[in-house]
Amino acid sequence: MTESRHSLRRRLDKLFVPLTIGPTLLWIAGIIIYPTAKLLWSSLFFTNPITGQKEFVGLRNFQRLLLGDGGALLNPNFVSFTKNTLVYVGFSVSISFLLGLGIAILLNKDLKGRGWLRTAVIVPWILPYVMSGLMWRWMFQAQYGAINGVLVQSGLIPNKIAFLSDGTLAMMALIIADVWVFTPFIIIILLAGLQNVPEQLYDAAEVDGASSWSRFWNVTYPFLKPSILVALTIRIIFDIRALDLVWVMTQGGPGTETEVWASWLYRTAQVFNKPGEGAALGVVMLAVTFAIVAVLYKIFGETPYET
Amino acid sequence: MSTETSRLARLTESLGLDADNEWPSVVRERLISYGLLGVYVFVVWFPIYYILITSFKPTSEVLSLPITFFPHDATIQNYVDIFNNRPFELYTFNSLVVASTTTVIVVTLGTLSGYTFSRYDFLGNKALLLSIIAARMIPPIALIVPFFQIMSQPPLIGGITGSLYDTRIALILTYTFFNLPFAVWIMKNYFDGVPESLDEQAKVDGCSTWEGFVKIILPVAKPGIAATAILAFIFSWNEFVFALVLTSSEQAQTLPIAVSLFVADDFVDWAHLAAGGMIAALPGILFGLFFQRYIVSGLTQGAVKE
Repeated sequence: MTESRHSLRRRLDKLFVPLTIGPTLLWIAGIIIYPTAKLLWSSLFFTNPITGQKEFVGLRNFQRLLLGDGGALLNPNFVSFTKNTLVYVGFSVSISFLLGLGIAILLNKDLKGRGWLRTAVIVPWILPYVMSGLMWRWMFQAQYGAINGVLVQSGLIPNKIAFLSDGTLAMMALIIADVWVFTPFIIIILLAGLQNVPEQLYDAAEVDGASSWSRFWNVTYPFLKPSILVALTIRIIFDIRALDLVWVMTQGGPGTETEVWASWLYRTAQVFNKPGEGAALGVVMLAVTFAIVAVLYKIFGETPYET
Repeated sequence: MSTETSRLARLTESLGLDADNEWPSVVRERLISYGLLGVYVFVVWFPIYYILITSFKPTSEVLSLPITFFPHDATIQNYVDIFNNRPFELYTFNSLVVASTTTVIVVTLGTLSGYTFSRYDFLGNKALLLSIIAARMIPPIALIVPFFQIMSQPPLIGGITGSLYDTRIALILTYTFFNLPFAVWIMKNYFDGVPESLDEQAKVDGCSTWEGFVKIILPVAKPGIAATAILAFIFSWNEFVFALVLTSSEQAQTLPIAVSLFVADDFVDWAHLAAGGMIAALPGILFGLFFQRYIVSGLTQGAVKE
C-alpha cells in the first residue's frame, strides 16, 4: 500500500516538468503556429467576394498592396495611410512618453497621498478602450461636446468647432485620446524603473552640487534605460496595431484622413471582404513590428526580457 | 485664532514639514508638485466625469444648450432603459463568463508553467520562454483574418457540430491566447523572487514536488497570482476588436460591443451610450481603486526585471 503510493508519488514527481509546462506549450503552439501559418497562407489567395471561391495568386496581394493597380510607383493609399500611421504613432508615443516621464518623476517624490494620486492617474488605462474612444468622441462632439462647451461658454472661442469633420483636427483628437489612455502605462513602467535608483546616489549628487538636469542624466537615466525601452517598445507596437480608438472615434474619416494601418486592415478584411489583401497587410505589419523591436533592441543593446 | 493655527499646523504637516527649520524651497517644490499633479488628475478625470453626468441626464438635457456641467434633472432612467430595451443583462453575463473563464485558464496554466520555467533548467527552456514572449509580439490585429477563418469553420474534432463563430468559447480561446504568454512571464518573474530555500525546506520536510508547490510555494505567490488574475480579467473584459469580428448576436457579444452598438451610422444615442459605457467601465474603475497596488506590481514585474 505505502509502496505503491510511494512509487506513484515518485512517478508524478518525475512528470512535474512536462505536466506543468506541457499544457501551456501545447496551447501556445497550437494557437500560434496554426493561425500564423494560416495568415501567411491566406495572404497568397484571392477570395471571390461573391462566390467565396479561392484562387491562388502568389504574391499578387502584396504587389497590389504596395504598388497598387495603376502605373504609380507606390500604391497612393499605402503611402498616405503609412503617413497617417507615422503621424498618429509618432505624436502619441512621444507626447505620452514625455508627459508620463514627468508625472512619474513627480509621483516618485515623497509626497503625502501618493497612493491615491497613483490610483487616480492609472484609471484611464484600465477602462475599455472602446468606451474611452466613445467618451472622447462625445467630448469632441460639434454641438454638445464638453470641449466646445468649455471653450465657447467661457468665451475663449466665438464659434463651435467641428473637430471630427476636419482631417487635421480629427487626427489631433485621436492623438489626445490616445495620450489620455496610454500615459498611465508609461507612468507605471517608469515609476517602477525610478524605484530602482538607489537613494544614496541622489544624496551623493546633491553633495556634489549637481544640477537637477545633470542629476537626471547621470543618475536617473542609466537606471531608467531598461524601463524606457520596455515602455517605448510596448507602446509603439501597441499603437501600430490598435484599432479600437480610431474605429470608434473617426472610422478613419473624414474621408480617409485618419485611416491608419489597423483600420485599413479591418476595412479591407471585414468590411470589403478581401481576406487575402487583409492577410497580406497583416504580414506586412508583422514584419514591421519585428523590425521595430529588433532596431530598438539593437540601439539599446539589451533585451528587456532578460533571462 | 486657535483654529487658524491648527489649520496651519495641519497644512505644514500635510506638506511633510515637521519643524520650522525646513528649507522653504522644499515647501515650494512640494506645492508645485501637488499643483502639477492636481492639474493632471483633473484633466484625466474630467472626461470620465462628463460621461458620468451624461449618463444621469435625461435626453432632453443632453441635447440642449448651453451645455450643463451639473445635471439639472438627474435621473437613472438611462440605466433602466438600456436593460429594458436591450439585452444588457446578456451582454453583462457574456462579459462575466468570458472574462472569468479566461482568467481561470490563464492563471492556472500561467502559474504552473511560470514556476517550472523559474526553477527547472531543462533542455531549451530559455528558447521556449523567449518564443512565448515573441508570440505576444505578434500584433493581434494581423491575426484577425486567420482567427475569423478558423472560428468560422467547424472544428477538427468530430462530434462537435457547427463552427465556433458567435460563441463565447471562441472569445475565451482567443483571449487565452493573448493573455497566457503574459501570465507565464509575470509568474516566472514572480517565482524568481521567491527564495529557493523554501522549496528545499519543503523537500526536507518530506513533501513531494507537487505537495511542496501547492502547500508552500502557492501561498507565497498569492500577490503575483492576484496581479495576473486582475490583469487577465481586465484585458478580457475590455477587449473589443476580436469580439467585434468573432461575434454577431447577443448570445456571445460582450459589453464593449454592446456599447458600440449605440452608435448608428449618423446618429448616436449619447445618454444611453453613456449609461452603457459606465457599466462597461465599472470593473476597471473598481479594480483601479481597490487593487491599484497589485496592478502596478504585476505589470512592472511582467515588464521590467530588476
